[in-house]
This record gives sequence, C-alpha cells and structure tokens, in this order.
Amino acid sequence: MDREEGNKGTGNPTSGGGVSRKHFLKLMGAGAGAAAFPGLLAACGGGDQQQSSAPKVKSVKGQLTFWYWGESDAPGANKWMNETVAAYKKKKPDLKINVVPQSTDTLISAFQAAVSAKQGPDIASQWATGPVLTQVWQDAVVPISDYVPKSETSQWLNTTENIYNGKLWAMPMYLIGIAVAYNKDLYKKAGLDPNSPPKTWDEFLAACQKLKKSGTTPFSIGNQDGYGGAWFFSNMELQNLDSLDEWVKAIVDGNKLAGAKYTGWYERLQEMVKKGYFNDSVNSLPLDQGHAIFSKGASAMSLGTDGIVQQWQKDVGKDKVGVMKFPKFGTGKLAESFNATQSISHFICKWSKNKQEAADFLKFMHTPERMKRWYALTNVGVADKRFDASAITDPVLKQMYEWETAGPQVWLENYNPVQVDSQANIPAGQQIFSKSGTPKDASQLWVQVARRWSSQQPAQLKNWKSWTPAEPKGI
Amino acid sequence: MSKTDTSAERIPGSYPAGRKKGRWQESLRPYLYLAPAAVFLLLVFAYPFVEIVRTSLQVPSATGTPTFGFENYKFLLGDPVFKKAVVHNLILLLSVPIMTVLALIFALILFDQVRGWKVYRTLIFTPYILAIPVVGTTFIYLYSTNGILNEILRSSGAGFLAQDWLGNPKFVLPSIMSVIIYRELGFGVVLFLARLMSLPLELLEAAKLDGANWYQMHRHVTIPQMRSVIEFFVVVEIMTMLSWVFAYVYTMTGGGPGFSSVIMEFYIWQNAFNFQSPAIASALAVVLLAAVSVLIFFQARLRRRSVDVDDDVR
Repeated sequence: MDREEGNKGTGNPTSGGGVSRKHFLKLMGAGAGAAAFPGLLAACGGGDQQQSSAPKVKSVKGQLTFWYWGESDAPGANKWMNETVAAYKKKKPDLKINVVPQSTDTLISAFQAAVSAKQGPDIASQWATGPVLTQVWQDAVVPISDYVPKSETSQWLNTTENIYNGKLWAMPMYLIGIAVAYNKDLYKKAGLDPNSPPKTWDEFLAACQKLKKSGTTPFSIGNQDGYGGAWFFSNMELQNLDSLDEWVKAIVDGNKLAGAKYTGWYERLQEMVKKGYFNDSVNSLPLDQGHAIFSKGASAMSLGTDGIVQQWQKDVGKDKVGVMKFPKFGTGKLAESFNATQSISHFICKWSKNKQEAADFLKFMHTPERMKRWYALTNVGVADKRFDASAITDPVLKQMYEWETAGPQVWLENYNPVQVDSQANIPAGQQIFSKSGTPKDASQLWVQVARRWSSQQPAQLKNWKSWTPAEPKGI
Repeated sequence: MSKTDTSAERIPGSYPAGRKKGRWQESLRPYLYLAPAAVFLLLVFAYPFVEIVRTSLQVPSATGTPTFGFENYKFLLGDPVFKKAVVHNLILLLSVPIMTVLALIFALILFDQVRGWKVYRTLIFTPYILAIPVVGTTFIYLYSTNGILNEILRSSGAGFLAQDWLGNPKFVLPSIMSVIIYRELGFGVVLFLARLMSLPLELLEAAKLDGANWYQMHRHVTIPQMRSVIEFFVVVEIMTMLSWVFAYVYTMTGGGPGFSSVIMEFYIWQNAFNFQSPAIASALAVVLLAAVSVLIFFQARLRRRSVDVDDDVR
C-alpha cells in the first residue's frame, strides 16, 4: 500500500485527534486484560504453564488417571509406562487407565491446582519427602501402606523418605544418586592417577589446581536455573549433619541456619569459584547444558546422576569416565552418606474413587517382569530388593547402584520446604556462583527466608514442627 | 409532524399515565439489551476480582482456618523480595520511552518509503508475532557467556565488552529489557506507521513549501498529530511492563540469578502455585491491579484533557 492509498483508506485526518472507536476498544481491551490478571488467578487456578499441564480431571469409578513423571530422570520411562498399562490391561481389561505425562517445571504447581479444586488424578507423582509430605499435610494423599500389604512395601527401597506418622505415603520406583564423574584422560594429562580419584576436600582442591594448570576446566556445571547450586547443597550441607532431624529443626528455628554447621559450606564453594575451577559459563547455562561441557570432553569433572553418567559414557567413551563420591570434608554422622533418592514418588490421591485399583496398579509396577523391563528401557536401577542387580553389567553404573542401595543415602534437598528451597537454596547458590554475594549473604538469606516462610505458612510450620523424619539406614 | 404526535406540545415531566408507563418501558429497553453483556462482564471480571480481594484478606493460621485482616498486605511491606519485584518492574518501565522513541524513528523512516521499506516493516513486525518463550529461549543462546553476541564481540576485537548477560545480576534486567524492546518495537512501528499513513498530505506539502526540513516537518507537523496514538502506545506498554512480562522472565531467568530479575507477576505465580500461598499471591495481585488502574486513570485524564485542547483549538 502506498501513501496515497493509505490516505484514501483512512478518510478524515482529524479523526485521530480524539478517541477513535478503534483506539477506545484497544485501550479497553488492554485495560481489561490487565484487570483480568488476578481474575485469571482466581478463576483458572493458574497461569499458562499450569493450564497447559494440568488438564481438568475428575476421578471416575472404573477409570484410573495417573499424572506421571519419570522421563526426565530416566529416559525411556514413558515408553515403559505405556507398556505397563498395556500389560495391566490384559490382566484387568475392564479398567481404563489414562497416563498423563507431567512436565518438570509444573509438576508441583499442576498438582497444587488439583488440590485447590479437590479433584484430579487417581495417582500422582511428586518428588520424595518435602513435596510428597506437603500434599499429605494438605490432606490430598492417602497412605499407600493402608492399601498395599507390608509383605510388598517391605521390599521397596528408600521408603524412609516418605514415612510420616508411622505410615508410608508413596511408592518409589527407581533410585538415582549424584556422583562426581571424572574424565580419566584429562586426569592423566594433569598428572593425576585416574584409578585413585580424590576422597577428601583437600585432595579434591589439589586435583582441581593441577587440572587448571594443565589447561583443563576442572569442574563444569550449569547454574542458570539454580539446580547446579542445589546439587552442591545436597552434597555439601549434608556433611556436617548428624541427623536429618537436626536439619528439619534448624529450618523450623530459622536462626540456627546462620551457624557454620549449616551454611558454612558456602565458604568452600566460594573458594572453588574464586579460584576459577568452574566453567566460565556456569551462570548462563542451565544444569543440562552444563553437563554437555563434560560430554564434549571440555571439563575434567562434573556432577551427574545415573542416566547422565550413562550418557557421558556414550559421549566421552565408556572406559574414560570414572565416578567417585563427593569429596569428604565434614565430620557429621551423615558425612559418609551417598547423595541418593528415589527422586519421584507415586501416591494415591484422597479424592480417588479407585483407591484399591490404584494401589494394585502401583504394586503391578514392581512385579519382576516389569522391573526387568524397566531396567532394559531406562538403565536406571529399581528401588526394590527383588530387583536383580546382575542386570547392571557396566562397572561404573554397578558402583553407583551399590552406593545407592548400601549404606546411608540422603538427598537433602528433599528435606527443604518448597518455598525455602526456591527462595533460599536456589538464589544463595546463584549468589555464590555469580560472585554477587558472599557466604555470609547466603547464610543470612537462609535465615531470612526460613523466618519469612514460618510467618507466611503457619500451617506448614506446624506440620514441620511435628515431623520427625525417618533417618536413613545406618545412622 | 403528524397530528397524532403530541410530543412537540407536551410539557416535559407532564406525561399522561399511559405514556409514563410506555416511556418507562422505553427507557428500560437499552438496559435489557445490555444485560447479557453486563452479566457476562460481572462473571468474568467482577466475581474473580471480588474473590481475589477476599482471598487477599484471608490470614492463614496454624489451624488451617483463616482469619480476616490486612496482615498479608503488612507482610508484603516487610518482604524484601516484593520490594525488589516492584523496583524491577519500575526499572522495566524505562524501556517504554526508549521503545517509543525508537518506534517513532523507525516509523518516520519507513514513512519516507525508503527503498525496501515494506520488507523492513515486515522484518520489524515479525518478532511481535513470535511466541515470547520462543524469543526468550533464542535470546538465552544469544546472551550466554559463550553465545553468539559475545562471540561476535570477541571476534571483532571488542572482547572486553563480552559479559555474562543473563548470569550477571548487573546486566540481567537490561538484557531482559532489550528483548522486550526487540519484540514490542514492531507493534509501535506498525501502529505509528498506520497513523502516519492517515495524515493529510496537504499539511506536509505545505510545510515543505514553507522550507521545513525533515526534522522540523516531523517535529512541528507530524508528531503533534500523532499525539493520541503515541499516548495509546505508551499506556499499553506501561501496562505491559507492569503486568505482561511474566513469560520473558520465566523463560529467560526464572527470576534469577538470586532475585535480580524477579518481577511482580513472577512473584505472584511463585506464591500462588509453588509456595501454596494464595493469600499472599492475591494481595500481590490486588497491589498490581491498583497500580495499573491508577495508570489507566491518569491516562484517561490525560486523554480527556488533550481532546478538550483539540476541541478548543478547533
């Protein structure tokens, strides 16, 4: 359209001086949109993200709906679940099962919307301990131990993560742990013995120094999303604790978190940052992209779970990747624990009209054939004593599964209230990595957030006060 | 006028009884027509609004039964994250004048029909039709430490300017602002260009004949006539900066590093759906709504005044 045509089309040039109908409608539309924002909050129970991942469902008799999560931890989990549903259908042809895979970002918020509406799936997935118990305390979950016999639940591993008031509230499916993976070639290049990785913090720092001297980035991680820092928290904070109860009590108290016992480990993390032992892109890459640096052979060490270590073996070379436990510096009783968890837990929702059917289906997931198939598809070890660990033939993965099943295992982040984790753990790590805060700032942040949480969430505080977490075995 | 039509003879307010009833029905009719829309608006806007205000006044208790009061608002006043979110939203407002000036300059250049102006117009408008998460994710790659922007800077000898644009608290807000400007600019350019196209050419030609140069012509002839559309754009963008930037922050930084890019909407979302704190989220939403409403009020006043001035001039 040329200018002449433009003038022809719009007519009176003075019409734009006042409020034209078009402008008025646009302004009204924009104003209405702004006004509707809180309305949407109330009416929809969520923003865009929540809406997309939280289909409105209602429990219907004879029909199981399962909001399922697992693929991010264990690629192949969704395929396994489809197979499991098909296999179960052969057993129970009249039962309809809808599996709705959930996204990581909205796993908590989507289920929270269901809790607010008091309707949703029959079975849901949440991360173990804090996230599961939060739903228990909101009366959205029934104890799985009321529906599944003890002969069965006693076979499941890491159940201590979801025990409250003497009852088991959710079922584990698999185990993952965080190990420090290292590149044997880069170790050799730096003059380090690849068969004898560092065990203590001092040895670890010495190794980092040698690696840096050899021109290698000693450690790679991504912390743009804050998860890299959270993984360091889980590995490092643990080391001065004597019990999980001690940590829970410190959060409830708030002020205690300022003590070196609880947040002093930030000094060590800061030391690593200051000495340039991390990749320079640590603050601009999310966790998974930080892992990609190790995959390319561009860093000597990184933190990885079983699935990630497997991927590294494929990318770097099976015989070139070794694993070690996080170097020890603490003196607490939990210092020797391996950072492992069942990660996701599956539970039966209070509003379900098919509670026993749901329990039976969950139980079916732990049958020998299903466990065997799980490992075949995901290569992630099953959280069940009956799982035949001889299926794990790779020595590195075998070592990790052994750490995950023998001795004490704790994933400390599971013991943080969600709000404290989001507002203290994640930002404090980001402060240290981005050099925008000191260990003292990080420590103060924990105190402030814990206090804020306790005044903002009196009902949650009451539950946390009344909760004595089950300690991991061996403690 | 027919003989039966007595309206011209009647004294106002002195209708016979039958006519009064008819008149009453007559005056009621428009309201009946409006009723469905009014009910719809009440349902869509009024009910959620009342509900949000009510929720914002519910003070959670350990027993689970809330009391009513203003404690949630008091809590916000002492909440450092809330204060940061407000400050960040205000900082984002700085992009409005930048965006307006840039949009105006681009529109005026395109108005001169420079070679390939239609292509430029399309290119400038394209980001506006892209989904924000797509734009945000693309810019994560562009702005990362070893991303394209820094690589260009390094390879062109300006490596000292390379920064961790999204990972450094000092740069994260300006970086987000630049992405918002990049995307929203197209809207302003197209809006301004449409208004320019509707201006009478005679005035511009007269200005040219009087010897006005490009700057003088636009400064004294074109821009004054675009006042209403500029005002409209500014108000819409102010509202955008206050209550429509969630997707940028959520996609690009998640409010971090630390709290350095937390904004009001993000904090509302966190409280409502991550922290299970609907009362605080509602109080935040009421505060945000109040802020936007104040701006709409002032904009309406401003617009009325400008219309009055226009009328006086005429």
